[in-house]
Amino acid sequence: MERIDGYAPIREYALVGDGRTAALIARDGSVDWLCLPNLDSPSVFARILDADRGGSFRLEPAVAFEAERRYLEGSNVLETTFATAEGRVRVTDAMTLTESRRISPMRELVRKVEAVSGTVPMRWALEPRFGYGRAETRIERRSGRWFALAGADALVLGVSAADKGDLHNGAITGELSLEPGESDVFSLSAANGEPAVIPGREDAERRLEHTKRFWPEWAGRLRYEGSWAEAVTRSALVLKLLTFAPSGAIVAAPTTSLPEWIGGGRNWDYRFTWLRDASFTLNALLRLGYHDEAHAFFWWLMHATRLTQPRLDVLYRLDGSEDTRERLLPELTGYRGSRPVRIGNGARDQVQLDVYGAVMEATWLYGHAVGRLDGDTGREVGRIADYVAKHWRDKDNGIWEVRDERMHYIQSKGLCWVALDRACDLGKSGLIPDHSERWRAAADELRAWVDEHGWDEELQSLVRAPDLREVDASLLILAVFGYESERVDATIAAVERDLREGPYVYRYRGGDGLAGEEGAFLACSFWLANAYARTGRLDDAKALMEELIGLANDVGLYSEEIDPRTGEFLGNFPQALTHLALINAAVRIADVEAKGKERAA
Amino acid sequence: MTLWGALVGGVVGTIVLTSGLRVAQELGVTRMDIPLLLGTIFTDRRDRASVIGYVIHFFNGLLFALAYYGVFRAVGHAGWLFGAALGLVHAALAGGLLLTVLLPAVHPRMGTPWTDAEETPLLEAPGFLLANYGRRTVIWTLFGHIVFGAIVGGFAAQLS
Repeated sequence: MERIDGYAPIREYALVGDGRTAALIARDGSVDWLCLPNLDSPSVFARILDADRGGSFRLEPAVAFEAERRYLEGSNVLETTFATAEGRVRVTDAMTLTESRRISPMRELVRKVEAVSGTVPMRWALEPRFGYGRAETRIERRSGRWFALAGADALVLGVSAADKGDLHNGAITGELSLEPGESDVFSLSAANGEPAVIPGREDAERRLEHTKRFWPEWAGRLRYEGSWAEAVTRSALVLKLLTFAPSGAIVAAPTTSLPEWIGGGRNWDYRFTWLRDASFTLNALLRLGYHDEAHAFFWWLMHATRLTQPRLDVLYRLDGSEDTRERLLPELTGYRGSRPVRIGNGARDQVQLDVYGAVMEATWLYGHAVGRLDGDTGREVGRIADYVAKHWRDKDNGIWEVRDERMHYIQSKGLCWVALDRACDLGKSGLIPDHSERWRAAADELRAWVDEHGWDEELQSLVRAPDLREVDASLLILAVFGYESERVDATIAAVERDLREGPYVYRYRGGDGLAGEEGAFLACSFWLANAYARTGRLDDAKALMEELIGLANDVGLYSEEIDPRTGEFLGNFPQALTHLALINAAVRIADVEAKGKERAA
Repeated sequence: MTLWGALVGGVVGTIVLTSGLRVAQELGVTRMDIPLLLGTIFTDRRDRASVIGYVIHFFNGLLFALAYYGVFRAVGHAGWLFGAALGLVHAALAGGLLLTVLLPAVHPRMGTPWTDAEETPLLEAPGFLLANYGRRTVIWTLFGHIVFGAIVGGFAAQLS
């Protein structure tokens, strides 16, 4: 793996986490991104956003090496094997899980080094830089351990080779050399607003073993019989890493400002939960048999939105608090010079009507899976349906969060129809108060409006908006959600014609009020496969899926976008929406195949 | 001052406090739902939880009214102003300790900052100054408890 100006290609990262925060580790053994104590907290390592001042924790052979890596089977524990002329060394990385009966670190990254063959000289360097590299970080030696301190944050590095490091220019560095069969452990124990737990080797190893046992057990609960089972399992494991366990919310991605085009300005903070992902999330969790997680996510959904109901915001913070203000970090250079680096997300202030369809579809999935909705929830859902019936005629910013004037985006209208349609079904099923007559009337009126204003005869496609007469890949979601119409079928063909290049699908070709280019949007490719399956084009769906599965990185992760010319990953990483789209496409294909077999039998 | 006065004040005060927070919920000021938080200790059925929670909160109100009465007796004075001052202390106890520290620690369905991937809690914790339930939650909680205290103090002083 070669770094460019100190930056590893996004494709070369793997993710480890504990359900509260997560770390990106490059193939060369460098931990380049870690926020503490939570996924949306300021970073202590941000080398992905500034190779010089972001901070990192490097652990690598001191001689030339090749690295291979994998996740332990059914696990979010990463194993990297370095092959050198002197021999082989294995590094196991994990964020350990809390032991409820013992005092354990608030957060802990464990890195276990094992000599496999020969004697390989290793070197390591810990450069903690709290507060996105902006906070003053104090490094001290106490009780034979290294402490890094800034405000209420503390990091303690243990436990054996690490204790002998030296301090140079704000970095603790050291070397170690192990004989075959020997091992050493680095434990990075983090605390925020509480006393730090000083790690001991035996404790750290026990927590690592506990963590190694938990993940396969969790993955073993997955219920899926279909093609691409390995990719589906990996995607489920990624989703679990992106789930903020204290609240049940799921972050769109664990990073901020990884660019949608190298050197460009489309750099956003994704460490929030987008309501748009709600239906995809519920569908994936329920279909794969993760009912506890589905239950927790639905409770989070209903609680988080309560302040604004029946109006829904676009995105929410993981802990439910309200501050999502967007700010720039001019001190950071950005990934390979891609400025600006942003924290917070201004999309919160946008109007995006499609979220109502996503939330109502999620409620519909959950309600039918569980068989009941309590009275309060039922009334709240009914009020949301009334709100949609009243507001579907409004202009909005659309699914792509266009930072330009609001328009009548057809995808938003289609999702409003989904919201009203699902509300009618929930009402008739007795799960919410039944006002299906007025909801159905609004849905019919909406559909007639889309027929009149959303279709372009020349393009033979639904369009982005009446004033934007071009094809939009987000319209594929209408097919995914069962907005059945010959015009939706034709739109699938138009997306193929205008936006697809091999396995890659662009969101749209026209402008969006922002300067600069972007890559192909991976979720759109999976939506296309899903839409193929939904509309009976099973062979096309399977062929596209085969190609898409091959686009993952070596450990099965996907970013938001990809550069079709080079295959380079772009955008925040790994991306929940892409992995959700993968799961839902695979599940759809499996379901269609199963139905076909039933009919044949 | 009488015990019965304090208890009647506790009943009225709890009704006012609970109703006030409910109004705040409906106005979109807070997501704080005390009956739900308390009831979900015993069940994950939201509708049942709310009923159980209302009963628990009602009895909590009576217990706190008894505690207020104990202070009134010890000091030898009761009144709405003194009750309101005790309500301020009560709010600090409820918002600073009971809801933010003790409840997440004992609640089987509530997340804590230490909850990890092994668990799937159903409720988010209130967080520092109850901010996770809306940044104005702390103001309503404070105001509600001051009113509760004033009512208990007023009733204890008047019903003699």
